[in-house]
Amino acid sequence: MDRIQIPATSRSPLVDFDLAAGHLLLRGESYPEDAAAFYGPLLLALRACLDEGGGPLTFDVALSYFNSSSAKALMNLFLPLEDAAEEGRPVTIRWHYAEGDDTIAEAGEDFAVDFSHARFEMVQESSV
Amino acid sequence: MSGEALPQDAPRRGGSLRGAGPMRRGDALADLGFAEVPTTQDGGADTMRPGALRGAARGRNLDGLAHTLFLRLAPVIAAVVLLTQVVIAWVNYGDQIRLSGERAQMVADMTARALARPGWTTSFGPQLQALGLDPSFRFAILRDASGTAIGRLGEEPRGRSLELIQVSSEIEPGPAGQPAGSLTLALSAEGLRANAEKQFVMVLCASAVLVLAFALSLRLAVARHVLAPLTRLLTAMGRVERKDWVTVDLAGSRRPSREIADISAAFNRMVEGLRSGDEARHLLAELERAHAQLAEANGLVMESLGYARRIQQAVLPGPGMLRDGALDVAVLWEPLHVVGGDYFWIEEIDGVSILVVVDCTGHGVPGAFLTLIVATALDRILHDQGLRRPDAILAALDGVVRARLRQDREEMDLSDDGLDCGICIADRAAGTLAFAGAGLALTILSGDGVARIKGRRHGLGYRLTGREEALSAVVLPLGEDRTFFLMTDGISDQMGGASRRLLGHRGIAEILARHRDLPLDGQVRALETALAAHRGAEPRRDDMTLVAFRPKAG
Repeated sequence: MDRIQIPATSRSPLVDFDLAAGHLLLRGESYPEDAAAFYGPLLLALRACLDEGGGPLTFDVALSYFNSSSAKALMNLFLPLEDAAEEGRPVTIRWHYAEGDDTIAEAGEDFAVDFSHARFEMVQESSV
Repeated sequence: MSGEALPQDAPRRGGSLRGAGPMRRGDALADLGFAEVPTTQDGGADTMRPGALRGAARGRNLDGLAHTLFLRLAPVIAAVVLLTQVVIAWVNYGDQIRLSGERAQMVADMTARALARPGWTTSFGPQLQALGLDPSFRFAILRDASGTAIGRLGEEPRGRSLELIQVSSEIEPGPAGQPAGSLTLALSAEGLRANAEKQFVMVLCASAVLVLAFALSLRLAVARHVLAPLTRLLTAMGRVERKDWVTVDLAGSRRPSREIADISAAFNRMVEGLRSGDEARHLLAELERAHAQLAEANGLVMESLGYARRIQQAVLPGPGMLRDGALDVAVLWEPLHVVGGDYFWIEEIDGVSILVVVDCTGHGVPGAFLTLIVATALDRILHDQGLRRPDAILAALDGVVRARLRQDREEMDLSDDGLDCGICIADRAAGTLAFAGAGLALTILSGDGVARIKGRRHGLGYRLTGREEALSAVVLPLGEDRTFFLMTDGISDQMGGASRRLLGHRGIAEILARHRDLPLDGQVRALETALAAHRGAEPRRDDMTLVAFRPKAG
């Protein structure tokens, strides 16, 4: 299984999808001009990984800003994870937000509603 | 001579160093040891006046200088050498003459002594004859005491001759009773003179050979160590003049003089400097060209976008849309890139005010495309279908967008675009405000503070996931002390501040509360200023649209 690593840019987050180990990470800001082009390959890889089955999976999302296209892309990533959780695979999504960042926290809470099988954890990161 | 520095097949101009100045382009000089310096291109602005170097080099060439040196020095050297040798020969000749004179005197003395016996005046024959044995003998005269010649051998030349060594010896009257007399002996100096002449000729020849050898070796040395390297330098200079950046490598050729080696090194440094300067100039020119092209392309794009903005603005409601209506309205519409995916609709139909704010996915041109779909859809929904309930309008809009973008099909690469939308229907007569939202909230500023009514979490459009919530409307009293805000997330999602964090709804609420007493327009302007202040150096990330409204007083 491949490991997808993409360095962060000013408009796209750091991506570290260690699919074999079951650790996925998005960190930074996400407002690429073409969100579908950026997240499309990630979604394909994730789906392929989930089809193969395997152990527990943790997805850390630590975004400080994302636009609505990215929100939709995140939703598309979360859906197959929830489906996999429903089929019995342990899936944890850890939603990181900076202390006092209501917008990101609220967005996490909105996402959390869609999950009933996967664990959705809100992780507050204290601002330095 | 200059040819020795050149390979045999290289063309030579003239065949001598004279005039072997810069050669024309095309002369096969590549194998002369010039190291080709990579050059960008031949074109570009000329920095050196062509021919400037040739003109400077024409003054006086070194070959001529060598000639002059030779012509001035050679006669002096030749004269000095010749004079010295002539003086030596002359002294030699004098010595020889003197020695010959002494020898002649001795012979004459010996003969006179041998003759000095009684009766010699009659019996002098054998002695006189013996004198004739000398090869240089010319003549001898024997005289008695009275001076009368009594015996003679050989021919006495007439007049005085320089070529004769003439001596005489007295025959003393002796105790033996011999009579007195004298013997005059003349020997020839011709042999000596011939000797001297031969010596002179030899000296002359030796001097000539010496001068010739000197001249030849001087010319050869000058040619090899000065002129040949200089020719190559001049050739290289000629090429450099034409921006052909060659350096001179004299290491392989015959050792040039140290000064020329220094000049070559300086020349090579200069060429490197010129070349890099030239390259920098070329790069700069290229950069400027590229920049001009970019500026032109950008200008075209901006022009095109400006046009697109006029179209998009034409689709937006004008400022006088609700002037006579029941509501005070203020609008902030600021696309991120000239045009954008944010859109608003304000219209008064059948006594109700309809206010719609839309945030389509993407911004710029793609976003603007979606807003046109929304504009067309709203027109049909409000005017043709006559829908007046906000949730019904949202549902209809959802259907139109999904159908128009063909998102109801199964294919993978279909559009997954959509929009957030908030709709308010204000009924002044009934004193109610109906709101429905999909991904877009209604913010209410009142005496109690700031409240926010969120619509459905998910927006409209997009491919169906099966998790969509139902759309629903909320009906509120349209109090006169209340101000309502429909805003896209571009307003609240402003990155900035000391902790580089999104401003968020709470931050917006604080700003709105701070400026609540201002007129509506003033509130919007104050919010805009506060947003810019929060961003600071951070760029905006999204289109911004805000529609503020409240019932007109009275």
